[in-house]
Amino acid sequence: MAELQGLGAELSEAEQAGVEIIAVSPDTNAQSQTMAEKLRLGYRFVADRDLAVTRRYGLVHAGGGATGQDVPRPATVVIDRDGVVRWFSLSTNYQVRPDPGDVLRAVRAL
Amino acid sequence: MRSGRLAVLSVIVALGTLATYVGLFGVAAVRNHPEGYVIGFAAATALAALALARSRRWPAWVALGLSVVLLAGGAWVNFVVARVPATPTVLRVGERPPDFTLPDALGRPVSLADYRGTRPVVLVFYRGYW
Repeated sequence: MAELQGLGAELSEAEQAGVEIIAVSPDTNAQSQTMAEKLRLGYRFVADRDLAVTRRYGLVHAGGGATGQDVPRPATVVIDRDGVVRWFSLSTNYQVRPDPGDVLRAVRAL
Repeated sequence: MRSGRLAVLSVIVALGTLATYVGLFGVAAVRNHPEGYVIGFAAATALAALALARSRRWPAWVALGLSVVLLAGGAWVNFVVARVPATPTVLRVGERPPDFTLPDALGRPVSLADYRGTRPVVLVFYRGYW
């Protein structure tokens, strides 16, 4: 959750400039909505309940969940106006997330 | 320094490390350096060992017990539990990622393709509550 919070604060400027932040997780819509309200984030939360999209991206951490279930590998992807990937960061330790400053720089470089 | 003081210092370092990491989890500089808490617990363990070397009284044993448990637990979380194996991602800089349509928090469909030609997107995959 904290990674979203950090990103939200740092990216608010970029968001105002018209960048859409789409947050994908296996959470239910209700959980995402609750979190969005709690963190006051202008994100669009989308629910990938069965991880089908996460799997297509090659971002499933097999058996990485608390009860051995598959979970997403944390990742942040900056996509330009033409729909092309310009920058991305994949987690190798789920406690560590990209520095919001790096994400912001990638967004500004578009 | 006397054994008792070293023991107290060890406990302060151990609990201070824990409080800093948990309390400042929202701060990227703290969260993104989880090895910091492992180092903090290791320092507390070293202080407790020093206290024990000076005097085998109970405060030194308490400090050593606490710091060893935190060091073992912290190292296990950081180096074993939190490790994310490399995955064969299809993401490539300069290429279009796979399109998708998923429901948003209000059940409305969101497609990546909707933003093409209109605005940039930051796509964040996260683990959720699990």
